[in-house]
Amino acid sequence: MKQKADLAVYQEETPRVGPPTDPDVLLDVRNLQTHFHVMDGTVKAVDGVDFSLKRGETLGIVGESGCGKSVTALTIMQLLDMPPGEIVGGEIWFEGRDLLTLAPEQIRKIRGADMAMIFQEPMTSLNPVFTIGDQISEAIILHQHVGKKEAMTRAIASLRAVGINAPERRVKQYPHEMSGGIRQRVMIAMALSCNPQLIIADEPTTALDVTIQAQILELIKKIQADSGAALLLITHDLAVVAETVQNVAVMYAGRVVEAGPVEDVLLRPQHPYTLGLLNSIPALHKRGRKLDVIKGVVPNPFRMPPGCKFEPRCPYAWEVCRRSEPDMMDTPGRKSRSRCFLHAAEGAARRYEFEKAAVATVTAGLPEAQA
Amino acid sequence: MTPQTEQALVDSVPADSPNGVSAGTQPDVMLEVRNLKTYYPIYGGILRRRIGSVFAVDDVSLTISRGERYGLVGESGCGKTTLGRTILRLEKATGGSVTLDGEDLLAIRRSQLHRMRRKMQIIFQDPYGSLNPRMPVSDIIGEGLIAQADRENGWSKRAVRDKRVGDYLEAVGLRRDYSRRYPHEFSGGQRQRIGIARALSLGPEFVVCDEPVSALDVSIQSQILNLLSDLRTQFNLTYLFIAHNLSVVQYFCERIGVMYLGKIVEVAETDVLYGNPLHPYSVALLSAIPIPDPRQRKKRLVLKGDVPSPANPPSGCRFHTRCWLRERLGNPAECSTTEPPLRTFQSGHQVACHFAEQVSADVVQETAAKQDVIETAAAEPD
Repeated sequence: MKQKADLAVYQEETPRVGPPTDPDVLLDVRNLQTHFHVMDGTVKAVDGVDFSLKRGETLGIVGESGCGKSVTALTIMQLLDMPPGEIVGGEIWFEGRDLLTLAPEQIRKIRGADMAMIFQEPMTSLNPVFTIGDQISEAIILHQHVGKKEAMTRAIASLRAVGINAPERRVKQYPHEMSGGIRQRVMIAMALSCNPQLIIADEPTTALDVTIQAQILELIKKIQADSGAALLLITHDLAVVAETVQNVAVMYAGRVVEAGPVEDVLLRPQHPYTLGLLNSIPALHKRGRKLDVIKGVVPNPFRMPPGCKFEPRCPYAWEVCRRSEPDMMDTPGRKSRSRCFLHAAEGAARRYEFEKAAVATVTAGLPEAQA
Repeated sequence: MTPQTEQALVDSVPADSPNGVSAGTQPDVMLEVRNLKTYYPIYGGILRRRIGSVFAVDDVSLTISRGERYGLVGESGCGKTTLGRTILRLEKATGGSVTLDGEDLLAIRRSQLHRMRRKMQIIFQDPYGSLNPRMPVSDIIGEGLIAQADRENGWSKRAVRDKRVGDYLEAVGLRRDYSRRYPHEFSGGQRQRIGIARALSLGPEFVVCDEPVSALDVSIQSQILNLLSDLRTQFNLTYLFIAHNLSVVQYFCERIGVMYLGKIVEVAETDVLYGNPLHPYSVALLSAIPIPDPRQRKKRLVLKGDVPSPANPPSGCRFHTRCWLRERLGNPAECSTTEPPLRTFQSGHQVACHFAEQVSADVVQETAAKQDVIETAAAEPD
């Protein structure tokens, strides 16, 4: 703690109490901590995550498996199994209310109506014993207080909006009668049926083939733009992020390690982990050369390193990284923030080497450099 | 297992890897596949009679030179895995021939096939499903050695076998003493390394890599890809690399075959295929790849609908039901009546399309600009 005080360059912390001051902010997540109590101990799956999302904006959360990105989404939707899960701390401000202080009945009113989720597995997240018409209209009846017939009409309209042919016939079908791409469209229709303010899409295209992925991504982008809803996109794929969202937060071991506009984060990465991820993506211009790897594996959740969680794998780490954990810091000349001591006063001398590597990565990927 | 050990071992793998078959040398054919067919029967009706077939691989021909990395791409259900398995005679072929190093694999007797197994191996996709959880690593890798033991190699002896298992564990960047551990003690990347060690321990020359990195995270994926290219140099391997991730194939392979519904629709050198694809399906497939660079957000050419069922493939060109080029050309009858043969363009670039000459970057861009994303599901059959 004492060492942290020595580091001078922190941005002022946002106030920890009360709703966000900016009325445009739709979702404000602050210092969120979700832990799982399992037999071997406690897994801090989400350990102090902060981000905010304005109305109509799009934010991507990207990270490898186990980094806590899906748990963050499930915590916001309050869909965690508790126990073993426990929301240990933090605030989730959504439309002026802290979701973590609301009663379950109030959450049920919000969930599905004001915020909706598109799940990863179109195969398993639809109920196989109900027709998709029943499944879509369930939410409509519940939240919009209309009759069965009217709900079915609205279900048909939302299926049509996601490009499903002959929706009058489709509503009577069961999930097994559809392909993966169509099921994912049904999931999107379901999420949209009550005109939510916030759409959370958890790996919406991971289970799909690349041509179907292109269809679904284009569809999500269009629907987001048309409806004006905010989009929180969770994915492991930096390329999907690059093509879909405005802002991005990179997660590692339960924390956001870098956040900012997508152009800044992917083209001028400010955290060694982001740079490592970008470098390990195979691409044509890297053919014939070895891929850069991030050495080692993600830390064991029961034995997290004491300092920076990325330190054991970080090629730029030094003494201070082992001792204490960095906070999110501003980066010079950029809008993005990074959880790395390279941006603290004592990292200034080492920053040059990192910047050089980052610039090399990005210019190598330029189309002009490839030609 | 600590992360540091894996990391140290990864670092110890030799760093340089010469790339590609050296120019000038006569291409030495390793594998030749001619008109290979794999059909699966569909039984139905009261008498459970055969009522149809799934045409998983339908009349595929390809040639792989020694030392080459041949990539096979396509969407799920296009038959790429079945093709790989049929080549190794893990699936029964319905027709055609497979010649590996001069021997016709589909014609030889069981005993000869058993010997040939040493020459050809496979690395499986799922590092969780492909290792027996009840076996220690020494048995997982040693099982193949026992099966292939003879007087010459002495693999039936425990000591010889253990040494070989240890050698190959080291070759894939793991520690020798891991041989006594069980699969659950390893991470996904390490398990994939064990799968690779198992395949290589028999000293194969030809290895089918069936989606070896699709189940892994990006940072681990790059470690495995580096390992595979190091091992290729070290053991003189020829790879048939099956993947659906087009960026991985682009990085890893020298030549690529694109499959659609049981057929190869285009074959070309990697640079040629990615730079100048001529089959409308390849064009759409490449256009669908997301690029991790926000500056290159582009208007994509999005295919309509889904892949039709391989049990009832469309007549004529199998792609015609989703083809944007056919639509553009005013639906010529040829597409739905005549099956296009693989035609050779320059330098081994083969394309199975009647109208491949019409494909160009301008045409693609123009078509993409006109598309309405909402309607992309419209071609979905009932």
